Amino acid sequence: MLETKNLSKSFGIRKAVDNLNLEIPKGSVYGFLGPNGSGKSTTIRMMTSLISPDEGEVFIRGKSVQKYGNKALSGVGALIERADFHKHLSAKTNLEMLARMDGTKPDRIEYVLKRTGLSNRGNDKVKTYSQGMKQRLGIAQALLSDPALLILDEPTNGLDPQGMKEVRDLIGELSSEGITIFISSHLLDEVQKICSHAAIINTGKMITSGSMSTLLKQSDVFVTEITVDQVSKANELLSPLHWIHRIDLSDDSLSVNIENEKIPEMIRLLVQNNIQVSSVIPRASLEEVFLSEIGAESVIS
Amino acid sequence: MIGLIKNELLVITGRWRSYIGFVGISILMPLILWGFTYGSESIHEQYSRQLGGSFMVVGSIFNSFLATYIIMNALWIHIPFLVTLAASDAVAADGSNGIFRITLTRPVSRLKILTSKLLASYVYTAALLIFCAFWSLGVGSLVLGTGDLIVIDKGILILEQSQAWLRMALGFSLAILVMCMVATLCFMFSAMVNNGVGPIIGAMFLIIVGYLVISIPLDFFNKIEPYLFVTYFDVWMDAFKEPIPWNDIGKKLGILFLYSSMFYGIAAFVFNRKDIKT
Repeated sequence: MLETKNLSKSFGIRKAVDNLNLEIPKGSVYGFLGPNGSGKSTTIRMMTSLISPDEGEVFIRGKSVQKYGNKALSGVGALIERADFHKHLSAKTNLEMLARMDGTKPDRIEYVLKRTGLSNRGNDKVKTYSQGMKQRLGIAQALLSDPALLILDEPTNGLDPQGMKEVRDLIGELSSEGITIFISSHLLDEVQKICSHAAIINTGKMITSGSMSTLLKQSDVFVTEITVDQVSKANELLSPLHWIHRIDLSDDSLSVNIENEKIPEMIRLLVQNNIQVSSVIPRASLEEVFLSEIGAESVIS
Repeated sequence: MIGLIKNELLVITGRWRSYIGFVGISILMPLILWGFTYGSESIHEQYSRQLGGSFMVVGSIFNSFLATYIIMNALWIHIPFLVTLAASDAVAADGSNGIFRITLTRPVSRLKILTSKLLASYVYTAALLIFCAFWSLGVGSLVLGTGDLIVIDKGILILEQSQAWLRMALGFSLAILVMCMVATLCFMFSAMVNNGVGPIIGAMFLIIVGYLVISIPLDFFNKIEPYLFVTYFDVWMDAFKEPIPWNDIGKKLGILFLYSSMFYGIAAFVFNRKDIKT
């Protein structure tokens, strides 16, 4: 559906994207991860013809964006970073203008406004919108042309937790309708929840890519959820151990960052100290994969 | 393309800056017409003095046609500034406001988008001058009345009322074409930057420097005068010559068209290669 071949771009002496090869399968929800300044936005801008690559090409459904120009973007919806519109015009007028560019029928406007929860504010000027509403309008405009491919760059920026969940649910719904979604985000937990595939880049280069399950298997450190009858005693027991990386407590459980092979030893220790263990659920974390691949925790924003 | 132009006109009409020219004209023209109504004697005397050797002036030669002719002469240097107010924002504002991130990711070529913006700027320019004509000729006719138009240039030309209307229409049409060239100049700068003030300064700087060069009688300046676009800005005055010098008009418009094409070509070249990073 979407492919980049040997994509490179420099700004002055800084190489923003370096020989990047991506292949986004049809129907997938593809997470695009990387620390700040890793080249995510530059890559997405090259995919959507906002920036010309120095080398390489982007193919959408086999058509080169560099060769066919914006014609290759037919059937593609995109939201690049912050959603900006003509503030002095209403959301509907803004969408009408974009529909004229896409050749989309006007009745689609009502549909996308409804789908993004803005139907009752469609006649209001965009300048009266909150950042979250603008972001939802950004998603609405991306859906306007009934796209087969959605390219979303940080779509949950500026949204509150409820808004984030709504966008996450919407992405899930769109994916189930067969739309291929390419999404970049800093929110690793969110990407893990919604993506079937992911790629991690750093300093413009591909670090790793593949299906989510394959990526998570690469992780040496898993978060393990343990439900016990004495949470504080378990915490006192496990905290001093050097092979326990981190413990987060809740009412009746602990989230423990621990190597896979140490899990049986931890359970044995808890049971030997008369702590009843009700459940042990290993949860692989994309964050751990990300950190181990990038190699520095401090780069996460 | 019509849909794209409609989009751009919606944007232009939604910006408060677009109305500065119309508001300015709406304030200035009544004042000028009021001034002409109550202070036209000196102009009448001046004209009568110039005509006195050859003609016997009976009644008033002052009417809306003469007032319009005088107004056009007086405002000719200032109108370009009003024209640049819309053209300067045409491309630059979309860049600085992040609108390009949404519009340039759609299946429409950049050239089409750019062309629609330029054509919308032309519509605005034409509307501004037609509005000026509405005040000076329309409202002016009600206030000052109509009659023959007497133009004193290198000779004396007296045009009957019916001819005066036609000449005024031709004059304003030529003025619109000249101002479209000014809009293209400003538009070119707008395609190069991401703020709306730079293009106004750039365009007005070139126009003012051009006017200075053609008004200073130095040999060197005289030599470069034919190559300056401002030299041909007075083409609208040809509408008030007898016979109408169609060849001269065609030549001047041709040169202005070449300049406009060059400015548009530069704008297209820059815009097509522009990386949208904002």
